[in-house]
Amino acid sequence: MEILIFVKQVPDDGIEVHLDPAAGTPDTAKIDKIANAFDTYALELAARYVEANGGNVTVAAIGPDGTDSMLKNLIAVGAKKAYLFKDPSFEQGDEASTANRLAQLVKKCEAENGAPYDLILCGKESTDEISGQVGARLAEELSLPFVSSVIEITPDGDKLIAKQETDEGYIKFETAMPAVYTIAKPGYDPRYPNIKAKMAARKAVIPTFSAADAGVSEAPCYVECVSYTEPPKREAGLKIQEKEVADTVAKAMEILIKDKVL
Amino acid sequence: MSYIISDDAKELLKDVKEFCEKEIREQVKEYDISGEWPREIYEKAIEMQLHMMDVPEEYGGLGLSHIDQAAIVEEIAKADAGVAVTLNGNGLSLKPVLIAGNEEQKQKCCDIIINGGWGAFALTEPDAGCDAANSKTTAVREGDEYVINGRKCFITNAQVADFFVVTAMTNKELGVKGMSAFLVYKGTPGLSVGNHENKMGIRTSVTSDLLLEDVRIPAENRLGEEGTGFITAMKTLDLARMWCAVIGVGVGERCIEEAAKYAQQRVTFGKPIYKHQAIQFTLANMQIRTEAARQLCAHAITLADMGVPFTTEASCAKAFAGDAAVQSAVDAIQVLGGYGYSREYPVEKLLRDAKIFQIFEGTNEIQRIVIGRNVINKYKI
Repeated sequence: MEILIFVKQVPDDGIEVHLDPAAGTPDTAKIDKIANAFDTYALELAARYVEANGGNVTVAAIGPDGTDSMLKNLIAVGAKKAYLFKDPSFEQGDEASTANRLAQLVKKCEAENGAPYDLILCGKESTDEISGQVGARLAEELSLPFVSSVIEITPDGDKLIAKQETDEGYIKFETAMPAVYTIAKPGYDPRYPNIKAKMAARKAVIPTFSAADAGVSEAPCYVECVSYTEPPKREAGLKIQEKEVADTVAKAMEILIKDKVL
Repeated sequence: MSYIISDDAKELLKDVKEFCEKEIREQVKEYDISGEWPREIYEKAIEMQLHMMDVPEEYGGLGLSHIDQAAIVEEIAKADAGVAVTLNGNGLSLKPVLIAGNEEQKQKCCDIIINGGWGAFALTEPDAGCDAANSKTTAVREGDEYVINGRKCFITNAQVADFFVVTAMTNKELGVKGMSAFLVYKGTPGLSVGNHENKMGIRTSVTSDLLLEDVRIPAENRLGEEGTGFITAMKTLDLARMWCAVIGVGVGERCIEEAAKYAQQRVTFGKPIYKHQAIQFTLANMQIRTEAARQLCAHAITLADMGVPFTTEASCAKAFAGDAAVQSAVDAIQVLGGYGYSREYPVEKLLRDAKIFQIFEGTNEIQRIVIGRNVINKYKI
């Protein structure tokens, strides 16, 4: 099976982001850029699938300079091929335009891969903007079956069984192929690269295409970001510092009643 | 400052750091108390190939530069010195094979390690540590075999090793020139491993006695010619000392991290303690000596890579890094005060771990003898 995963490069989500006071936009310049965590779960799931059932995994990303480094790192942990799409026109847009562009890029990826994809995966959301829309919109653009928050895929003849995680439990879907799934966190972590694979992957040359190379036309955009606002700082809470437990409880009760919580 | 490494190696180092933070740092606390060998940590490290960094590329190794390797070893040591010592044990056992072995021996030992096995270097004896020439272990030639008898002690990884490099006297009358080195494989009749030492520190590394009672091995298992064992062992130790120093630097760096973090959280006299000059000076001294140790390592490694003599530099690095790690651990405990003395905090372990770096691979006194002798030779009148 040929699997294509679209990966987004995001600022390291372990680091708190603040607004750049001058520009008014998130100040991420000094934060390490990494592959979106959910996209790495998609890669691990895909890598395990092809190791068990055969096939190849391709990763592709839209991104600025430096995104090729992220793609090289993904080659070290299960991706066989990687394509980068880099163009000034790709830097603007909303979820609709991203999904529209990705839909157009599938063709270019298939041409480069020399084979059509049976399954297209995205993380269920990105850890920077967390809109959770792109995968679903991509399926819509391609008119393909779609399952969100998948944590397991199993082959079933010419169909696929996708296990979706829900708040209550799981739902199993059967879909035809090709299909688009978004991936949630499975019960395992992405693998660490072994050193040999890592050093070989770092030597890889990532084919890079502009909008014109990839034949991507202008994408529709409906949403404009007007401004960013930082969440207000948490105010200091009330301190109850009575010596006796009984007094502490009495004081807490007094405050709760006064504020009409009780 | 740190090791100057390539961008690709920096990417690799990020993975190693993540591995250390997620799989080693917290996990070793329990093993430090129990003294159990953390097999599952090593299994994961083997998957990442952290156990085979000393296998040369031509024998199936990774092809990392030694400076890249040093940066990785330091990162592992920062998480836990015992884990770094265990992984480095493979390098230590492989070095004499690479120095004196034939192609077949080299490939065989490299293959064992590549496939997830372990090696152990068995030089030290109850009465022959730094005084290795006082070895009581003997190897007697009988036809196409050698019969080895003796007792080795403080052997890193002996309990888990698949192959051992054992030094033994083939001709006691010749002193050090009568020492030879042999490959002995696990399961050879007469070879047995004693209980592991209940050590003060590096408790995630297993250290044991090795008993050889009429161990018969084929003559082809000899490494190099008869009588070259001592030279092989000394060349091995020259190289091993650098790596030992690199691990010591990792311990020192961890001391800095723990002290610097604590100093920002702990408030006395109305301000975080790092704003007190006494603490700033302590942190600065820790940084100065750790970086100096690191650069001594880098220098010795560079000389070794160039193929020029580096014995003095390796000894300087080893002695300085060991002393620096111990002093920085003492300093870190002092910065943490009473908490530093408590097992609830990580720095008392750092002192227990650091102490061995003044002792093994030749005590720091031996290093100073080596350095002193070379200084006299340099200015011989």
